[in-house]
Amino acid sequence: MRPRVLIVDDEAPARERLRSLLVELDQVDVIGEAMTGEQAIQRAAELVPDVVLLDVRMPGIDGIEAARHMNMLEQPPAVIFTTAFDEYAMKAFDAQAVGYLLKPIRKEKLAAALAHAQRLTRPQLQKLTPQTEARSHVAAKHRDGLRLIPLDEILFFFAEQKYTTVRHLKGEDLIEDSLRALEDEFGSAFVRIHRNALISVRYLERIERNGDGQYFVRLRGCEAPLQVSRRMASELRERFRI
Amino acid sequence: MSSGSDGADESLYLPDFCTSRAALANVLIVELTALILTLARENGGGGFWTDLSRTSLFLLWIGLAGAGLLCWMRAPLSRQQVGRGSAAVLLLISALIAVISAGAFLVGRTSLVEDAGATSLFPPDLPTFLIRNVSIGFVVTALALRYFYVTHEWRRNIEMEATARVHALQARIRPHFLFNSMNTIASLTRSNPAVAEQAVQDLADLFRANLSDKRDTITFEEEYEVARTYQRIEELRLGTRLHVDWKIDSLPRKALVPGLMLQPLLENAIYHGIEPQPGGGTVTVTGELAGSLITIVVRNPVGDYESEREGNRLALANIRERLGLLYGERGLVKSGRFGNEFIVTLRFPHVEKLNEA
Repeated sequence: MRPRVLIVDDEAPARERLRSLLVELDQVDVIGEAMTGEQAIQRAAELVPDVVLLDVRMPGIDGIEAARHMNMLEQPPAVIFTTAFDEYAMKAFDAQAVGYLLKPIRKEKLAAALAHAQRLTRPQLQKLTPQTEARSHVAAKHRDGLRLIPLDEILFFFAEQKYTTVRHLKGEDLIEDSLRALEDEFGSAFVRIHRNALISVRYLERIERNGDGQYFVRLRGCEAPLQVSRRMASELRERFRI
Repeated sequence: MSSGSDGADESLYLPDFCTSRAALANVLIVELTALILTLARENGGGGFWTDLSRTSLFLLWIGLAGAGLLCWMRAPLSRQQVGRGSAAVLLLISALIAVISAGAFLVGRTSLVEDAGATSLFPPDLPTFLIRNVSIGFVVTALALRYFYVTHEWRRNIEMEATARVHALQARIRPHFLFNSMNTIASLTRSNPAVAEQAVQDLADLFRANLSDKRDTITFEEEYEVARTYQRIEELRLGTRLHVDWKIDSLPRKALVPGLMLQPLLENAIYHGIEPQPGGGTVTVTGELAGSLITIVVRNPVGDYESEREGNRLALANIRERLGLLYGERGLVKSGRFGNEFIVTLRFPHVEKLNEA
């Protein structure tokens, strides 16, 4: 069976050109196109392509962040990045030997890249930092693919056994990221209140104390108060001057 | 020699006398002076070599002590302005010459010298000796200072020109734009050769304008045309995501404006303001003439996370430099984020295109 390819680029002429090059090469089947990082992730989940040709610089979720999310799919695609000129991204590619193509893309190079296309490994992904340092979304697995949750809609993360629960404006989801990794990545917008809880500063409404001297926080859009550990309470009081 | 490391504008022009290179130059100056003095005294009576070595010995003392003094005093001296620093150096060297001259005279009076019968090697009369030496020293030092000053200024001019040129180069079209345009054209050559042809012509015009040396002032009409050419290329790539709203009716087409300012500003606005937005946006360019002042304002929407990046500052720094060169105090560049917009304002005096005779 021929490899199935998804084309992702925010610029129409760039997508058009890739498509016609691929048709000429006649080695793969183009099964779809996407114009943004969000769309790319959705389509990758729906269509389950073998290879994604992914533009690095896109508005919203950029190519590198999109690749990180796609790698969480049940059957992650091989990713080949395309870029016109991004010094930083190109350095990261070289260091990691990740497949990438420079625009305007040559047909021979495209053929070679397709022949060698491989899935990204976890260490490779970790070294490829998105152009905007922290991700703008977290991805939760679903029966029908991935659900992207914008960071600014997240109330808190809660760690249980193996998974982390994300509570957001539209409900709850399970993600695979550890609380520690999330805290490292989003440390400026989120604050740890307990060994098992990381809350959004944006939704923090107030901190209260019950008769036993136990602290709780209340978040906007969340009825139940969340317990604050003794150790974190003083830090929290200091940070918010309460 | 002072390397380019001390980049301050008013750095002292003196070479660093602590280095061996400067010491060598110093010895050379001393020996040449000794030769001139000896030649001037030569009257055919023989004793030329004796006179030369005697004078060299004396002058070397002065030269090396002077270099040592300037090396030691370098830090406080380099904090002075050019005029005061030079005066201080002249004063220091003159005083040094006076002291060494007096020293030499006293040595000549010691019994050691008298016993050896070498009195003739030393000056017989202190006041004449002092006045003559200090005067000669003053003139030679002044000449040397002048020489150092001129070489320093010359070097500094070359450095400044080079920096300005580098800035101008850096402010030119981004590689990002070039490669993306090439990619667009590569795509259009298949799907729409006529548009591809137009795009190649536009790109050529744009680069010609960028490489042109006549970047001082051009008519607003020409400047607008360059920016429009750029806009056409970007529209091919970004499609409906890009809108540019030109509000320039009140600006006379023949007004003289600094060349190649609109295009880099438009490029910044698109790169930082339009491309990062999934839905695109509108760049607004306003140009107006009020009294004798022209004001050009470029505004673009900004996303939440977008900060001022490297390229942005370079283009703005270059425009600021050029407006300063052209209009001095009367040229103004302001830029900053206001709410959800990034706004750049240029203001400079209006000059109608002159009918060249």
